[in-house]
Amino acid sequence: MAEGSSTPEPIQRLVESFHRLPGIGPKSAQRLAYHILRTTEQEASALAQAILDVKQRIRLCSQCMNITESDPCGYCRDERRDRSVVCVVEQPLDVLAIERSGGYRGLYHVLHGVLSPMDGIGPEHIHIRELVVRLQAGEIQEVIMATNPSLEGEATAMYVQRLIGPAGVKVTRLARGLPSGADLEYTDDVTLARALEGRQEV
Amino acid sequence: MTDRSRSYSTEGIVLRRRNIGEADSILTLFSLHEGKFDAVARGVRKAKSRMRGHLEPLTRVQVHVARGRSLDVFTQAETIEAHRALKADLERMNLALYCAELADRFTIDRVEQRPIYELLVDVFHALDGGASAQAARYFELHLLAITGYEAQLDACAICRQKLPEEETLISGPAGGLVCRVCRPAASSGRILSVRAIKVLRYGRTATIDQFDSLRLDDALEHELRAALGDLVRPVLDRELNTTRYMDALERADRIPALSANHVQSDQSNPVPPEP
Ligand SMILES: [Zn+2]
Ligand SMILES: [Zn+2]
Repeated sequence: MAEGSSTPEPIQRLVESFHRLPGIGPKSAQRLAYHILRTTEQEASALAQAILDVKQRIRLCSQCMNITESDPCGYCRDERRDRSVVCVVEQPLDVLAIERSGGYRGLYHVLHGVLSPMDGIGPEHIHIRELVVRLQAGEIQEVIMATNPSLEGEATAMYVQRLIGPAGVKVTRLARGLPSGADLEYTDDVTLARALEGRQEV
Repeated sequence: MTDRSRSYSTEGIVLRRRNIGEADSILTLFSLHEGKFDAVARGVRKAKSRMRGHLEPLTRVQVHVARGRSLDVFTQAETIEAHRALKADLERMNLALYCAELADRFTIDRVEQRPIYELLVDVFHALDGGASAQAARYFELHLLAITGYEAQLDACAICRQKLPEEETLISGPAGGLVCRVCRPAASSGRILSVRAIKVLRYGRTATIDQFDSLRLDDALEHELRAALGDLVRPVLDRELNTTRYMDALERADRIPALSANHVQSDQSNPVPPEP
């Protein structure tokens, strides 16, 4: 970073903090820091408070590991949802995506990551154990693995299948059609095969 | 092959992928003609990307690459071998990822390494066709030989004396078998059975299919895995990620899953930091 020693230390610290955020390069970090410098004190403290609130008031739901302000979360408390099905996703944002689709009324489980052999990320780094604990209660009949169709997502789905399949819980994989707008010609075999396997009667 | 034209084509195997930004990935490709290199695949994580699916780790792919100022850019990618069966089996996927990481660690950027590349292609092909962990042992044995670390299996690795046919110490730091006289000079090692020594010697000249069709019991398989691990480790500067991962899977397997109440959940439940 080209932030010279003549820059006051608090600004340097702020620039560095911004630079650590995803997608923020050194130039943008500088721009943001100098923008904050020009805002009113109220605006600055509102931003600071919002950041602190996220860290202090948002926690993980003790049941589904989704992010929530109250525990259990809204999905887990909702009596109208089907408690026999759990949809397992990588990130909290995936829950929002599935909710938006409107086709699902069961419960969720958020892993906060995926198994990643190439990075040395194993089961103990993500919330797989908590899923096993939930299954022990015996209410859940089906687990839908909705991890991404990447190597890591597939590895995670296979691992969960191996872990809980023998206990008699049905494990299913989200059927993956061809990505909309894709040319059949340019679609790889794996995607095509999956699309065929996951085909449904119309 | 390394003329400075604006673009080039090669086939290769995707060893690794790191996601950057919203939809891009940097891939490490081990290629036939250009050796190992990193290049960026723009927009590859978007559902509409034509390269999506072709540039997954463990896929053998034909690519077209444009030279960039800092990083080269993939402009086309088409699957040669998807290795679909291998990717649909957790054990074999892990073995393939382990071999991919070994290939990554044993090679340097932009140096053509045809024998290693062809070995990796053969091993992936075998694993895709249902080969066992023996395929990974075959890869270790031959990778060491190709890169100048051939395991000494005929004579003592320290004094070069011929070895009697008996169980013998194998030492990673010494680079192979060590005779009784030299044992104190070997800093570490393990005793290898006569059977295991014979299997290793056979592996040097066998094809991968011949080697994989050997019927080995669990004890022997474990012995070979440990011995080859010992030989590979001194060549690496640090532990492999895939080894750490596979150890973690084994640890997790020992935890009773749905049977007992051993599992306790996190009390405070803070939002976890990104890995
Ligand atoms: Zn919840
Ligand atoms: Zn000796």
